[in-house]
Amino acid sequence: MTYLMSLFLIGLIVGMVAVASNPAPYFAALGLVVSAGVGCGILAGHGGSFLSLILFLIYLGGMLVVFAYSAALAAEPYPEAWGGWSVIVYMLVYMTGVVVAGACMWGGWYEGFWVMESFKEFMVVRGDTSGAAFMYSFGGGMLVISAWVLLLTLFVVLELTRGLSRGTLRAV
Amino acid sequence: MTPTHFSFTTAFILGLMGLAFHRTHLLSALLCLEGMMLSLYIALSLWTLQLETTCYSTAPMLLLAFSACEASAGLALLVATARTHGTDHLKNLNLLQC
Repeated sequence: MTYLMSLFLIGLIVGMVAVASNPAPYFAALGLVVSAGVGCGILAGHGGSFLSLILFLIYLGGMLVVFAYSAALAAEPYPEAWGGWSVIVYMLVYMTGVVVAGACMWGGWYEGFWVMESFKEFMVVRGDTSGAAFMYSFGGGMLVISAWVLLLTLFVVLELTRGLSRGTLRAV
Repeated sequence: MTPTHFSFTTAFILGLMGLAFHRTHLLSALLCLEGMMLSLYIALSLWTLQLETTCYSTAPMLLLAFSACEASAGLALLVATARTHGTDHLKNLNLLQC
């Protein structure tokens, strides 16, 4: 289990290096998919199965489909992969930085606990599953605020992409 | 510092450096912003799971709702830029500024 979790942690860093090293948006989206999938593995390994499921369904299923569509919208004929010179220089610089930072921290590691047995307060169901239900009782104010923010964002998006004589896009 | 803390902190800093140094595509900057939000989600979830408090497990889901707002506003700006300028290169946003 320790080896598998170490592999997941290294995969998270490598995925973020692949996003941050400035390739074409196709390949950056691929790196973000790898990083999100590995993040699901990390959360499941720590015992948060419901949070891992939320990350997998909402993040990978909702946002990255939209990002793939936008990458197709902003397409270019010869996309630059990780083999190009500027990208490979960025990747080497970032990986060197990560290795140097890890070497500076090298003496101070201690073994964290990987898998949780159960939470203290709930014994029947998993703790994160029942803790998410607090959003409907004690966290009702934040639930109302976030629903309001999502509704506001809908109108912001509609006004940004309206296009006719009113709004922000009058040129089209 | 456990390896887990080092890992998501490094992921956040890498996303921030990519957002700061990217100068070509607007979509690459948005992807770096999404990567930062992903590392923040993992950080909040691990905070819940390692402190064994169930009340805090609503925090990463509210963060996910706000990051959905941020992603949709950014993609709307991307569509607006692609319709007015014809491309999403950040270099073209400096041309003919008034």
